[in-house]
Amino acid sequence: MLGSLPTFARLEAELSKLPGIGGKTAARLAFHLLRTNEHDVTALADALLEMRRNVRFCRRCFHIAESDVCGICTQDSRDKQRLCVVQEPQDLLAIERCRAYNGLYHVLHGALSPLDGIGPDDLKIAQLMERLDREPIEELILATNFTVEGEATALYLAHLCKERKLRVTRLAHGIPSGSDLEYIDAGTVQQAVDGRRELQFK
Amino acid sequence: MTRPSQRSEALVLRYTDYGEADRILTLLTAEYGLQKGFAGAARKSRKRFGATIEPFTRAVFSWRDGRGQLWSLQDADLVAAHFGLRNDIKRLAVASYGVELVELLLHEGEAQPLIYALMCSFLSFLDQQGNPETARLLVELRLIYLLGYVPHLLHCSECLRIFHAEPIRFDIARGGSLCLDCAGRTGVDIALGTVGSLSRTLKVAHDQFQGFQFGRKTLQEAQFILSQVLDSVLPREPKSLKFLAQL
Repeated sequence: MLGSLPTFARLEAELSKLPGIGGKTAARLAFHLLRTNEHDVTALADALLEMRRNVRFCRRCFHIAESDVCGICTQDSRDKQRLCVVQEPQDLLAIERCRAYNGLYHVLHGALSPLDGIGPDDLKIAQLMERLDREPIEELILATNFTVEGEATALYLAHLCKERKLRVTRLAHGIPSGSDLEYIDAGTVQQAVDGRRELQFK
Repeated sequence: MTRPSQRSEALVLRYTDYGEADRILTLLTAEYGLQKGFAGAARKSRKRFGATIEPFTRAVFSWRDGRGQLWSLQDADLVAAHFGLRNDIKRLAVASYGVELVELLLHEGEAQPLIYALMCSFLSFLDQQGNPETARLLVELRLIYLLGYVPHLLHCSECLRIFHAEPIRFDIARGGSLCLDCAGRTGVDIALGTVGSLSRTLKVAHDQFQGFQFGRKTLQEAQFILSQVLDSVLPREPKSLKFLAQL
């Protein structure tokens, strides 16, 4: 149908390669861009190109950065004895948003997935172990997702660190704050019951 | 008119993220065998599905006929989450291997009550800290048996001589166990005790996992035999085997 519109068809094909974008959404976006003024379209194209040219992964923690080492790794005020391990850069940003953590990070860029054949060699695990050898880390916080893959990864890392003089902790999980118990699924309630903790009165 | 909703108990074998917030689940059921189910908005909202759409979960799903062969999943009630699997990487890897075998060996839409019962027991055994090597041997052997791929074990696959105490060999290309006369230069030496153990194991109910104790040599030789059989019937090598090898 778009044979006579090769430029439009090319844009649609490129957009549909993006995650979460199907054929219909790609067409909708392409029509939106067609109606947008040239200045805004140029700004978008420039932003895409500049991002690709300038953004890379920090050589220390593998978070996104615009220089060799990211802003978090170079911040003097960070607690250098705590290292939080996350699956993806987006997870790091989620923890940063909570403003409750001031330590360093390490991004694995994935999680172990036996079903997909993703093993330790496919993640930034060797680099994490090198950091633990080199840096004065006292606590390793495992903040991988609470999926089967995330739990497997946390378990594997904890096992690797067994012999090290290191405090290994895992993020707490269970009922989300502000939610009603009656609407929570049985699996989450089960985990919350299993992981219940004693109330401390000061 | 809205089609009536049906309910089926199923094991979640795996999921694939689809679009912005949806998931496609691969399910194993007793009545319909392997099925694919569409869980709309499953990643955005946890109200309908929650933890029930994670791999290895056993749940009762409400579903309607969806597009093509895909079930449209409405909601799910948890039967067993098998969270214990997440406490041991080896057990988790063996559980993954078991469900991948099922995915590779079964065709979609064929009733599989015995394999469903087998997989429920397999995951429950691993969830309750069962020995992963025993679980692997039992699930491989029973899947091979239930699908009709079991090789000749206690008799020669060519001359049909029943073995008593003599040395034997194994060669899947020639049907399984071989007496030395028939084997010639082919096959690998196998202890008669190993094939005897496999044969006896097949006489036990297929959903029983507790109470088995296999020696080191039996486990090693049985793994060789079962790997040979599986290599000959699987369309590709399971990805979870690569993971198991890395542990």
